[in-house]
Amino acid sequence: MANLKEIQRQIKSVSNTQKTTRAMKMVSTAKLRRAEELAKRSRLFAQKTNQVIAEIASRIQCNKVGGIDSRCFVQNDAPKSIDIIFVTADKGLCGGFNMQTIKAVKRLIAEYKNKDVNIRVRGIGKKGVEYFTFNQVELLDGVKNLSSAPDMQRSSEFMARSIKDFNDGIVDAVYLVYNGYKNVITQELHVNRILPISIENIDCESVKDSVLELEAFDEEKMLDSLVHKYAEYNMYYALIDSVAAEHSARMQAMDAATNNAKEMVKSLTVKFNKARQESITTELIEIISGVESMK
Amino acid sequence: MHTLNLEVLTPNGSIFNGPVQSVTVPGEEGEFGVLSQHVALTTLLKAGVIDIIQENGQKESIVVNWGVVQIANNVVTVLVDGAVAIRGDSEGEMAKALDEAKALIDSVADSSALIASVSARIESAAHSHLF
Repeated sequence: MANLKEIQRQIKSVSNTQKTTRAMKMVSTAKLRRAEELAKRSRLFAQKTNQVIAEIASRIQCNKVGGIDSRCFVQNDAPKSIDIIFVTADKGLCGGFNMQTIKAVKRLIAEYKNKDVNIRVRGIGKKGVEYFTFNQVELLDGVKNLSSAPDMQRSSEFMARSIKDFNDGIVDAVYLVYNGYKNVITQELHVNRILPISIENIDCESVKDSVLELEAFDEEKMLDSLVHKYAEYNMYYALIDSVAAEHSARMQAMDAATNNAKEMVKSLTVKFNKARQESITTELIEIISGVESMK
Repeated sequence: MHTLNLEVLTPNGSIFNGPVQSVTVPGEEGEFGVLSQHVALTTLLKAGVIDIIQENGQKESIVVNWGVVQIANNVVTVLVDGAVAIRGDSEGEMAKALDEAKALIDSVADSSALIASVSARIESAAHSHLF
């Protein structure tokens, strides 16, 4: 009989867990919808900004206009020092979401360690920051409570330091690693080089005839402030995208957990029924054999 | 009537998208107007007001705090950090938009002369919109 009670207790506990995971899934679904909306609205701006920057970069590269040698556009194949900025969630229970980012960061670190590059790791998000602190990887700084509630101002302040150090020549490249939203069931890992601005796959033909008209006193200044905004905005967009991805990952994880709990309740119920039948059978045998022995 | 396409984008979405007759933007080096067939140009904007004359002749004003404008092939793309459109169907909505616009300008502009001139312009834009 003790066994029966034990199974019953287990069933109850699992179905309680199931209630929690189901609730968490619903919360994530609601939050995802909001985050997705925000990401969708921002995506257009992100695309246009990247487009404008890419166009300027390609013109500089292809036409060498005005002798602009802003550091932001010069490709550096052998950086001496780099910044790696990663974005993870503040909370767990979202499957492999955080781990994917962390692994990508570790890969990047290993890759550049081999090349003897000085690496500064900067983190956003409690989970990633805690992971690296626990594993004694030195972080330049870590920000918490930003990835769950993206804020333009805070993300700009955070990014400003990397931009400044890049302009001052302290770092030669800035990488941004985050897990972005692709659709409700998939997340996409992004490893982007923010600075210097990537000018790969540029088609010189398309810009050969057009002239870059920069109507500004100081072209360098204009480009600098543009690049500054570009980097800041990329940071902010990474946060927005990451939030959407986090909720979709959590939704999936919780859905899987709910299904697993359901399966578990099912198999425990079968086990419970079998155990009950067994005890009834044993009791019957005892009674029958008692009667037999009295004959 | 020749028109050009105007698109005003903020990080939080598009604030204006459609054909216009002309648009006047506050360039870093001074205000300039754009009509159709304008030459290709990329430049920065400072805090100020974007004045739009829509296809049907209706005027519209958008207050921006910083931005970059790209003009190419009759398409004007304005990317801004923060923007408030001075529009609203009622006086209440309009007043709200005005307050937001003033707060936006106050937060970025460092010269009081600029704040004053922009404030005056958005007030008048709001008036012409309402009456």
